[in-house]
Amino acid sequence: MSDQQNHNERAGEDSPALSNSERGAPIISLTIWPHRSLSRKGFRNVILLTAVGLAIPIVPLLGSPVGWALLPFGLGTVGLLTFFFLWNYRDARLAEVLNLWPDRIEVIRTEPNGKILRWEANPYWVKVTLRTDGPVENYLTLKGNDREIELGAYLSPDERVELRNAIEDALRKVPRP
Amino acid sequence: MADAAAHAHDDHAKPGFFTRWFMSTNHKDIGILYLFTAGIVGFISVCMTVFMRLELMEPGVQYMLLDGQPNGHLWNVMITYHGVLMMFFVVIPALFGGFGNYFMPLMIGAPDMSFPRMNNLSYWMYFTGCALGIVSLLSPGGNGQLGSGVGWVLYAPLSTTEAGMSMDFAIFAVHVSGASSILGAINIITTFLNMRAPGMTLHKTPLFAWSIFVTAFLILLSLPVLAGAITMLLTDRNFGTTFFDPAGGGDPVLYQHLLWFFGHPEVYMIIVPGFGIISHVISTFSKKPIFGYLPMVYAMVAIGVLGFVVWAHHMYTTGMSVTQQSYFMLATMVIAVPTGVKIFSWIATMWGGSIEFKTPMLWAFGFLFLFTVGGVTGIVLSQAGVDRAYHDTYYVVAHFHYVMSLGAVFCIFAGIYYWIGKMSGRQYPEWAGKLHFWMMFIGANVTFFPQHFLGRQGMPRRYIDYPEQFAFWNYISSIGAFISFASFLFFIGVIFYTLRWGQKVTEKAYWGEHADTLEWTLSNPPPEHTFETLPTQDMWDKHSHH
Repeated sequence: MSDQQNHNERAGEDSPALSNSERGAPIISLTIWPHRSLSRKGFRNVILLTAVGLAIPIVPLLGSPVGWALLPFGLGTVGLLTFFFLWNYRDARLAEVLNLWPDRIEVIRTEPNGKILRWEANPYWVKVTLRTDGPVENYLTLKGNDREIELGAYLSPDERVELRNAIEDALRKVPRP
Repeated sequence: MADAAAHAHDDHAKPGFFTRWFMSTNHKDIGILYLFTAGIVGFISVCMTVFMRLELMEPGVQYMLLDGQPNGHLWNVMITYHGVLMMFFVVIPALFGGFGNYFMPLMIGAPDMSFPRMNNLSYWMYFTGCALGIVSLLSPGGNGQLGSGVGWVLYAPLSTTEAGMSMDFAIFAVHVSGASSILGAINIITTFLNMRAPGMTLHKTPLFAWSIFVTAFLILLSLPVLAGAITMLLTDRNFGTTFFDPAGGGDPVLYQHLLWFFGHPEVYMIIVPGFGIISHVISTFSKKPIFGYLPMVYAMVAIGVLGFVVWAHHMYTTGMSVTQQSYFMLATMVIAVPTGVKIFSWIATMWGGSIEFKTPMLWAFGFLFLFTVGGVTGIVLSQAGVDRAYHDTYYVVAHFHYVMSLGAVFCIFAGIYYWIGKMSGRQYPEWAGKLHFWMMFIGANVTFFPQHFLGRQGMPRRYIDYPEQFAFWNYISSIGAFISFASFLFFIGVIFYTLRWGQKVTEKAYWGEHADTLEWTLSNPPPEHTFETLPTQDMWDKHSHH
């Protein structure tokens, strides 16, 4: 998934690199994240549905010893489902933000555990490559500042082609010295 | 920052035997483990039935003797463990744990389950449950003998007063397998909802994946109730509580309500994954997309929902009011509507199709016939008035075996023959699959159809012996059981032959273009890691809503 935006919701939001007041707003800012097929609203509906479903046999018995004995099992199940859904979303918190200024390009990657990794280079020298010998089909890399990094390895091959095109278009717009 | 990899590489060294099968987190390997374990436990459970049918072949007690006297406890033990093993450790694990684990992630284009390690934990908890079930069978139980003879439903007060530790082990077995199923269901739900391939909306997801998802929800909503109920049994037995003991203010009928609140959805947990398999098989061998995809999806959802509101039709004779009985009767009959939608949609799929009677299709045909027979006798039994006569007779035994023993088991065999080439890379001899089908179809019908007659004659279930007038149909039924058992032994031979010497299949979609879900884009067997790169829509969206 990728989205062009000038404000970063994920990896870059706490990043000092993006509060780059002296440089101004970037020419382009791309945020890329792994695909998840259930929206947050859908997630809330699933938990609600489960809670209601489990409440149906328990609520009529509440107040009786049997009702109290059943209650922890119902609550535990809803709790477990919520916990594992949140865990699954956390695993997908991986995000990559690409920001481009006339004199600088940077990629900030937020790992699922919150760790932030950075790469930056001069856009004039950056080389975008779509490789066929990579670990995944249409392996997209950026090379600059003496280092080659991967981008969007978790996207589909077609999405990586789109991403390559978007980055190259953006690089073409960078004013040349 | 993730530096670029220099070249294509395979990070995954081939695991050794122990690592692969004992520490596996791979959904395909775990699916195979479920299938084999369920097969072994199923064999044990089927052996018990052959022993029981041998005993029932003639009036009088010939084999189950203790010091020359009829051993009723042994009979009760056989009945109990056949039910417990089949319900908790064979059919659901094979369909939901086995095929569900293996094929649901493949069909939605997910690289694995959301929580692979939890998947491993689920399997080993299931395995532990199986082991505890067998331990229970061999532990000191009631009547100074081994095992518990209280029936698979573990009704109080029988289960709360059964002597020995066997009953406690049985409760633990169900507990552990229940916890395994709940964890498995959570894994399936998160995987299905969150990890579908881009573009695969809920209304485009294959029917088998849907069936596994619906089953997961049934498990999630009903098993906690069973877990609570049997925990109360355990405390009634061991800690002096009286949840189900009238002497202390408890209510044994409440246990029945709780048990059947789980038990009736359990029937659908068993059959709904089968619905999914049958849909794919019929579509593939009719060479047509499935008829009425969306009604098929919502029929499964409706069956699941209705399954939660009909439980007390198992309890018409427990003293419910007429109003309550009327409600449960009507609600039960409503289930015939979504079930009818499915049956007629399968028939409509075949209508005008170029039907090919390969082995999986034969099993699907067999399923349609048997499930319809079982469904029709279910409508008969749903009538509270009629049920007065049929309750606890062999008519009920015939009914639920037609739906589960035959319906669900035929789905399992349909799935095995449909996918074994995909899973193993080797194909069974077609003649052998067909011979297995005809032996099983004839054997199973000869076993269970006469039991309708026995029920109508008034023969009660759960007895070691019967009067002379029931002898004829019991004899026929036992002959059928032996034919079915022979077919099972033959099947084991077919599987062994296929896995060792079966013809190698290299074509990915070897059943033709209508086998078009994502697993058919993979090699036979699929590589260890699949869909690490997300599949694109053109790989799975060949026919709309198929």
